[in-house]
Amino acid sequence: MAVVHIDNLAPGMVLSRNVCDRSGRMLLPTGAELTEKHFSIFRMWGVLEVEIVGEGIAEDAEAPQHEEVDPELLRQARAEVERLFVHNDPEHPAVKELLRLCTERRATRAP
Amino acid sequence: MHRKPHSSVEHMVEDVSTIHSLPMFYSQLSEAIDHPRSSIGDIAKIISEDQGLTARILKLANSPLFGYFSKIDTITQAVTIIGVLQVRDLALALSVMDVFKGIPEDLVNMEQFWKHSIATGLAARILATSQREANLERFFVAGILHDIGRLVMYVRVPGICLELLEQCRATDTLLHRAEREKFGFDHADVGGALLKKWKIPPRVAEPVGAHHDCRLGDQYPRESSILHIADIIAHALQLGNSGEIFVPELDKGVWDRLQISCYFLPTLVKQVDSTYEQTVSVLFGSEDGSQ
Repeated sequence: MAVVHIDNLAPGMVLSRNVCDRSGRMLLPTGAELTEKHFSIFRMWGVLEVEIVGEGIAEDAEAPQHEEVDPELLRQARAEVERLFVHNDPEHPAVKELLRLCTERRATRAP
Repeated sequence: MHRKPHSSVEHMVEDVSTIHSLPMFYSQLSEAIDHPRSSIGDIAKIISEDQGLTARILKLANSPLFGYFSKIDTITQAVTIIGVLQVRDLALALSVMDVFKGIPEDLVNMEQFWKHSIATGLAARILATSQREANLERFFVAGILHDIGRLVMYVRVPGICLELLEQCRATDTLLHRAEREKFGFDHADVGGALLKKWKIPPRVAEPVGAHHDCRLGDQYPRESSILHIADIIAHALQLGNSGEIFVPELDKGVWDRLQISCYFLPTLVKQVDSTYEQTVSVLFGSEDGSQ
């Protein structure tokens, strides 16, 4: 079982859990095989992630990689952002994602 | 019993709520809105009397934040299209921004302060949209007002505040924790108390009072939770500043209860970034939004 972002889904993947929209209405049941048509339905109903059978894709955890950024700049940005977040648990998934987003944002915005 | 000065939240907001009072027109407006027989025309007339406010409301109503393709050029139209309560909420946010003036620069840079507030308001509004909430303006307003208690403290006890600011910078502590340690309450409590005293509806006052401790918000838990997360986003993106130099700690329970997907965060950040500059420039009048 793996949680996969909608951008990283591929036709043929099999659901390991019902997909529901925000109000809880079921869109697609466990065991269904995904097709292209489903992706647009998910998007339409605001579904961002689904659970699929199997291990998922390794690179999914790190989300789409940013374009070429100077690694030195990135390292510096990372250090600054980590300092901002000293009062937060870096292992919490939301904090982790924010750390990643802010680092990237900072590095690409740097003059 | 003799009490120490500034020992209670009530004491803190007592004089401030009279010296720094909301403009008369806000209570007139609320009264008109609550009156069963007033029409949209009556309400529009009250707002139109304040020209500066009228211009800013129209600019905001026409900004991409609202996404109306037709041009809104009168207050009557704004009230009809956006809704009476929404326009009242916007009027509230805009009038509070004019109330606090003349706080020394070494305590707070007002422009930075409101920028942080606007960023929080935008994040709260976008989060609320994704949660399928109605009447989005109350989230925007709660964001604009969430740190207002800090301004009260800067006015009432500037010396102690300066001390706390310096102490936090030297020891890497969170300002709202230092406030609680010093006074027994923090700026969120003060803000909530001030808004209550100003008779601002509890759907805005309560989340402001609870944005660092969402357990306090028992009537409007969703509003408080959204505001809590929005504040963290605004800090993380470093848009403006209200005195706190670090990102406040995320309440994990709040995060879990809202059931926000981590995959939503990139979208959220993108939307805040794309609306921020323009909203700042609208709310600051003619100045541009550059830093």
